[in-house]
Amino acid sequence: MKDLARLALDTAAARGADYADVRAIEFTREDIQVKNGEVGGLELSDSAGLGVRVLVQGAWGFAATDDLTKEGAERCAAEAVAIGRASASLEHEPVRLAPEPAHRAVWTSQCAVDPFSVPLERKLDLLFRIDGEMRAVRGVKNAESFLSFLRKRQHYVSTEGADIDQTVTRSGGGFTSTAVSEREVQRRTFPQAEGFHQALGYEFIESIPWMENARRIAEESVALLTADQCPSGDFDLILEGSQLALQIHESVGHPSELDRVLGMEANYAGTSFLTLDKQHKLAFGSKLVNLVADATLPQGLATFGFDDDGVEAQRWHIVQDGLFVGYLTSRELAHRAGDARSRGCVRSDGWHHIPMIRMVNLSLMPGSGTLEDLLTDTDHGLYLETNRSWSIDQLRYNFQFKTELAWEIRKGKRVRMLKNPTYQGITTQFWNSCDFVCGPEEWKPWGVVNCGKGQPGQVAEITHGAAPARFRKVRVGAGYDA
Amino acid sequence: MRREAAHALLDQALSLANGRDVEIILGGGFDALTRFANNQITQNVAERRYLLSARVVEGKRTGRATTSDVSREGIARVLDRAARAARLQPEIPDLLPLPDAQHYTDIDAADSATEALEPGARAKEVERAVRRCRKAGLEGAGIYEVRSGTIGEYGEIGALAMANTRGLFAYHSGTSAIFRVSALDGTASGWAGRESHRAADVDGDALSEVAVEKALRSRAPAAWEPGRYTVVLEPAAVADLIQDMAWISFGALLVQEGRSFLAGKMGTRVMGENITLRDDPFHPLHRGSPFDAEGMPTRPTTLIDRGVAAGAVYDRQTAAKEGRESTGHGLPVPNTYGPIARHLVLEGGEGSVEDLIRKVDRGLLVTRVWYTNVVDPKTVTLTGMTRDGLFAIEGGKVTGGVRNFRFNQSVVQMLGQVEALSRPERTGGVVCPGLLVRSFQMSSGTEF
Repeated sequence: MKDLARLALDTAAARGADYADVRAIEFTREDIQVKNGEVGGLELSDSAGLGVRVLVQGAWGFAATDDLTKEGAERCAAEAVAIGRASASLEHEPVRLAPEPAHRAVWTSQCAVDPFSVPLERKLDLLFRIDGEMRAVRGVKNAESFLSFLRKRQHYVSTEGADIDQTVTRSGGGFTSTAVSEREVQRRTFPQAEGFHQALGYEFIESIPWMENARRIAEESVALLTADQCPSGDFDLILEGSQLALQIHESVGHPSELDRVLGMEANYAGTSFLTLDKQHKLAFGSKLVNLVADATLPQGLATFGFDDDGVEAQRWHIVQDGLFVGYLTSRELAHRAGDARSRGCVRSDGWHHIPMIRMVNLSLMPGSGTLEDLLTDTDHGLYLETNRSWSIDQLRYNFQFKTELAWEIRKGKRVRMLKNPTYQGITTQFWNSCDFVCGPEEWKPWGVVNCGKGQPGQVAEITHGAAPARFRKVRVGAGYDA
Repeated sequence: MRREAAHALLDQALSLANGRDVEIILGGGFDALTRFANNQITQNVAERRYLLSARVVEGKRTGRATTSDVSREGIARVLDRAARAARLQPEIPDLLPLPDAQHYTDIDAADSATEALEPGARAKEVERAVRRCRKAGLEGAGIYEVRSGTIGEYGEIGALAMANTRGLFAYHSGTSAIFRVSALDGTASGWAGRESHRAADVDGDALSEVAVEKALRSRAPAAWEPGRYTVVLEPAAVADLIQDMAWISFGALLVQEGRSFLAGKMGTRVMGENITLRDDPFHPLHRGSPFDAEGMPTRPTTLIDRGVAAGAVYDRQTAAKEGRESTGHGLPVPNTYGPIARHLVLEGGEGSVEDLIRKVDRGLLVTRVWYTNVVDPKTVTLTGMTRDGLFAIEGGKVTGGVRNFRFNQSVVQMLGQVEALSRPERTGGVVCPGLLVRSFQMSSGTEF
């Protein structure tokens, strides 16, 4: 693969590319699902290929192939250059890449126990035990559980002299209990919606208290069918960490992507309200709000040594003490935000897709106090757990989320379970209403593994660390208040 | 990959079965996409790739393995991994044996001119669209995408060819050309799109003209209060809503598990009499695949017949539970999702969207919707935002732009309040008309 990457690079240069980089990637995956006492899916997959990116007369071209022969690599490089030439045929401002040292490095994510060496029987045994525990609860319609393991080996070379090997292993899993009545479908998931994933080996799976939570989750899914409907109105809202993670993802992460800000996603994912004039001026949130982008976060899903521009991983503030200060940038666009160097946020989801700006790990920094302290401090409010649906406008102002359940809080105590809680707001109003962020003891690196962006669409995985936090007077009840 | 080459590759794979029951699915092809923004090309990509997925069945056990390595050695390796996966798992009591050979009706969906379209030709079409935006003083952004084979929107791979050791062989390849353009003036925007199996149907200039006109009309939008409005939904908006409804409603497993609004409602009226919804890959605007990922022939299936719940789509497993035949809507076995409707056709009327607008005294014209998601599956209540052109209709005419709304609306209820339908077109992978709908709930506003 390394030789083919080098051959493709040399071919691109010989064909007229002013700049080129090549990623040779090998993926290995294992996905196992169990549903209602049966294996619902067991797939072992691998793929390998080359992605060749070029600049020709200041315009991009990209081609990808799984033909891993000498001819295949040469043909792919030639196609990338031909496409770059077609891009350059339109009037354009030539791309100029922010300088970055030509790194030569090897980087590997943490992995104590290789998940691919753990026998399938052991993984299935865990899933069947979780499944049995959930199905022991009367009223459970569907018990579903899964484990997922991924390894990515990437070799990156560029005409600037970069030569970087990176290997990432990530493990994840989760389970869902669904209860159904004539009028509704209720579900509970653990540890979070879409599963809990980290860049670790099988030791991550073994660290999660699966069996301790399976019955509780199943019981809650059934109890939701007869729970009271969450009332509508303005409420003080406490968001549990994994829901807050998605709130960060949608209302902070995407609007701070510089390619969106500059209109490059206008036809699909949208643009952003965080226009260049707002940097260092906009009161994004209250003084308690500190949001940090960090590609060096241990175990993060978007942690790496170097991004797909060959830029070294960094850590910086997006929001500092409530003030909007930073963007997610690339070598191509950093100068548009006044930066001499890229923040290193360029990634693709495989050899077959072109790298572009994607979120690195983005977290709400912890404040102080436990969840119990926060509840005790709340006279009347709602505590919302675990995402069920999400939506936000294309400039990232108006969002609406639904969670799996809410607890009504009165005088610091959880007094009743409520079903179908939804909340809606405007991003900066919402973050400015934050008046309590729990401390490090409650902070967890939650994840998002289904982030869609780009055309062709790409799926990214990102960690968002968060501890529970409180937001004052948030509108609750959309979709159920008509 | 042509039929003959696919056949030869699958024959080679089956020759390595060593007496085992084996199913092979081959998917992939070519996808090229020119992307533009700020009136210039910003990305320009092409990918060529194939995936081969092997399933081994050993009695009531089955395992699957997938690889991009379609060499003889790669295929042998993937077969061994699938067999190992099968052996390691417990029995699936209701696992069905592999199907026998089936008969398929060919669908003419591959256009050689589209397959051969060069990046230079895509760039020229983009230039026509950009020129019109630039002339109007607007920023143009969009895509021109050409596909051949079965690479999906997010890189997912569908079945191009499949075969099994019981003599089944199926092949279908199609092309598609998709052009979408947004015209922007600050936060004001307009949008237009076209998709067909032929690149010759794409006219970037004409689409850009529509997007530009919508963007110009969207300037200085009026702020209307949230509430229930009469709306005209253009086909792109309708497609998004009914596609979401299909994901959570029309698969037989969803109905059998009681998770669909159709559960217990078959044969009863659930929508207006003017609503007939089918799944039909043979529709001339779809030209989809005539078989599913189990190798079963896909049959046109009526889901809603003049407002009455008429049926669901089935795979072999859900069909066996009810003692009926698969409709050919299965996913690769085994899976936890059940069958899905992939070629929706909502029947429409004869007139245009403009004819619908003329019928409205006061209401809103919705160009398209964005970021839809399910609020309540049993009522098919969706939330989402209007986008790229929300307009006031007054006295049967479009009178100006309106600030975008978030909606929370039951699609089932909406399809009971349709007053008129326009001519269907293909958009967002759905064939559907524009709709004139009463009492559509816009629940909150935004800043633009």
